[in-house]
Amino acid sequence: MKAKRRVTTAKDVRVAARRTPTVRKVKPLLGSAPSPSASPAPTRARSVVARPIAAHDQPAPSVAVDLSVDLGRGLVLTNPILVASGTFGYGIEYGDVVEVDRLGAICCKGTTLKPRIGNVPPRVTETPGGMLNSIGLQNPGVDAVVDKYAKTWTGWRTSVIVNVAGESVGDYVEVVRRLDGVPGVAGIELNISCPNVGKGGLQFAIDADAAGSVTAAVRRATDLPLLVKLSPNVADVRPIAGAIADAGADVLTAVNTLSGIAVAPSRQKPLLGNIYGGLSGPAIKPVALRIVYEVAQIVDIPVVAIGGVTELADVLDYLAVGAVAVQVGTAIFADPTLPVRLVDELAEECRGRGLTSHRDLIGTALPRKPGAPSAKGVEYRP
Amino acid sequence: MTMRLVRTELVDSREILPGQWLQSFHAPALASGTRAGQFVHVRTGDLSGLVLRRPFSINTADPVSGTITIHFRTIGRGTEWFTSLRAGDAVDMLGPLGRPFEVDSRSRHLLLVAGGLGMAGVRYLADEAIRDGRQVTLLFGAASARDVYPSSLLPDEVEYVIATDDGSVGHRGFVTELVPEYEAWADQAFACGPAPMLAALARLAAGRRDRLGVARLGRRRGAGRTVALGSPAARRKAFLQVSMEQNMGCAVGACLGCVIMGVGGAPQRVCREGPVFAAEEVAWDSGW
Ligand SMILES: Cc1cc2nc3c(=O)[nH]c(=O)nc-3n(C[C@H](O)[C@H](O)[C@H](O)COP(=O)(O)O)c2cc1C
Ligand code: FES
Repeated sequence: MKAKRRVTTAKDVRVAARRTPTVRKVKPLLGSAPSPSASPAPTRARSVVARPIAAHDQPAPSVAVDLSVDLGRGLVLTNPILVASGTFGYGIEYGDVVEVDRLGAICCKGTTLKPRIGNVPPRVTETPGGMLNSIGLQNPGVDAVVDKYAKTWTGWRTSVIVNVAGESVGDYVEVVRRLDGVPGVAGIELNISCPNVGKGGLQFAIDADAAGSVTAAVRRATDLPLLVKLSPNVADVRPIAGAIADAGADVLTAVNTLSGIAVAPSRQKPLLGNIYGGLSGPAIKPVALRIVYEVAQIVDIPVVAIGGVTELADVLDYLAVGAVAVQVGTAIFADPTLPVRLVDELAEECRGRGLTSHRDLIGTALPRKPGAPSAKGVEYRP
Repeated sequence: MTMRLVRTELVDSREILPGQWLQSFHAPALASGTRAGQFVHVRTGDLSGLVLRRPFSINTADPVSGTITIHFRTIGRGTEWFTSLRAGDAVDMLGPLGRPFEVDSRSRHLLLVAGGLGMAGVRYLADEAIRDGRQVTLLFGAASARDVYPSSLLPDEVEYVIATDDGSVGHRGFVTELVPEYEAWADQAFACGPAPMLAALARLAAGRRDRLGVARLGRRRGAGRTVALGSPAARRKAFLQVSMEQNMGCAVGACLGCVIMGVGGAPQRVCREGPVFAAEEVAWDSGW
């Protein structure tokens, strides 16, 4: 690790410590208002967390709940429920089935400088509690993405964060330059789980120096809010997270998929056309939870959790280990309306506990002692 | 009809062949306005471990009773879960999805070719065609007699011709071997089944022009005119349309999990550009 890490304590109110936004995007706080259709939903999941006794068994008083999340540099989301890159296309594919304007943000499919046709199929398969995918970053290239979708995005209240991938620092920088200033693009999420051709194919995400340099280079190229997405496929994520934070990222998102394979039914070859795939879904939640727990304690930028969110309890768990927001991915395939429902359920949860904001739920499971390092997280490997 | 999430109810569930099930669901929103070739993406039970929906062709749809049927083989925990459903159980479906078969209005004779479970992909088209007063010959291939789709489940008007690998019933050999006998009769052909079967049919269809002279439909109108790849017209104009299969994630075009290779070198989403393609739209030899 190159630079001294900024070690901060787990503050109860982490969001308040953010850099003051330069341009504040004015968006109505939609997340807090229960949608007319959603309020008496009979399907609402029961809350897993015990409520204060006073709030039990009686309708909660309707306190206004502020679910907004300030990710820095003017990126203020109406609520902390985002949809994860690669699982929600460019935001348009689900049509009327999903109310996109009620999402906290949309992270679009990974975008590269040149078009990519992606990997040979089969590209997806279900696994116990999850799925493997090896899409291979199929996308039409940044220029086509801007041409085709940016105009639609400008009409949305929800923020669209463009997920960016590349094979060299130069690639990342060029893609981001082309996105900089495009109306409809609210932020950048760097997918650094990509082979770095300049370093013999070593992934940016598993090397603190490479992760730091690509972040720094992109930081110089744009004033857009910059999220950097961590890979779980590393021995210790902390030096990498530290390097990325030091290099000027506004937000860390964690995690991308875990590397895995499946075997074809014939048992004569691996199942996926690309052999390797990325594991996602509930199966990876404990791993993602551990990583968020570790990272949230050592950086002072917000952490957005990703991995196996399927119900409110998952959201609350991630908040408890220090995430300010979550992204929902694989679960959308089974239940496209889940993210919007989670917004309502989270607001309801806060209301039930008499909270005016979900911020009070953030970091409650982190070590209380100021500066206590996460001694057990990584070293304890049974 | 645009896709939507539909809460359906199981009406009937029958094992029509060993390991093969036919289930009927009350789903008025899907029973009318859908077309042959389209599919539904069905949510499995909330068993821990199953995270994906299962795509099923709409096997039949009856607007009068408001029901649709699906036909599947039990191949894993997801499909087994479906067999445990009882009448009255609620099932969540996303649909209708994908693009349908396109029958040229001048086509009188339709050749349907199905391999095994591919029957579910073309079954609905038989109903539609007969409703529209066309003649239908259905060529069906299976491993052996025990896997042969019961003729009682087909409309009487359909000419049903069977091939089995072991010769236990019908022609001994591949269903594709039956095709040359019908290609001169057929105005258009529609197929669903294993990928090698579809590739073989595509080769036969490509050679048809040479054997029969100019394709019958093409001679009358717009023979040399090019139509946009993926357009309904491209399918309508084709002699052979195939319903493709691929593992799916979202089934709405968002995840790019379900692609096959198109002739232009661009991957095509089976859930969105398909599942029905004109045979000429698919790059059969791409190795994908
Ligand atoms: C089909 C599919 C495609 C994905 N594509 C991308 C991508 O292009 N860029 C990226 O950063 N992450 C991608 N991911 C990873 C997800 O954004 C997310 O990090 C991961 O799936 C874990 O979250 P989940 O368990 O909620 O799915 C993809 C995941 C899936 C399932
Ligand atoms: S299954 Fe997701 S794009 Fe087709």
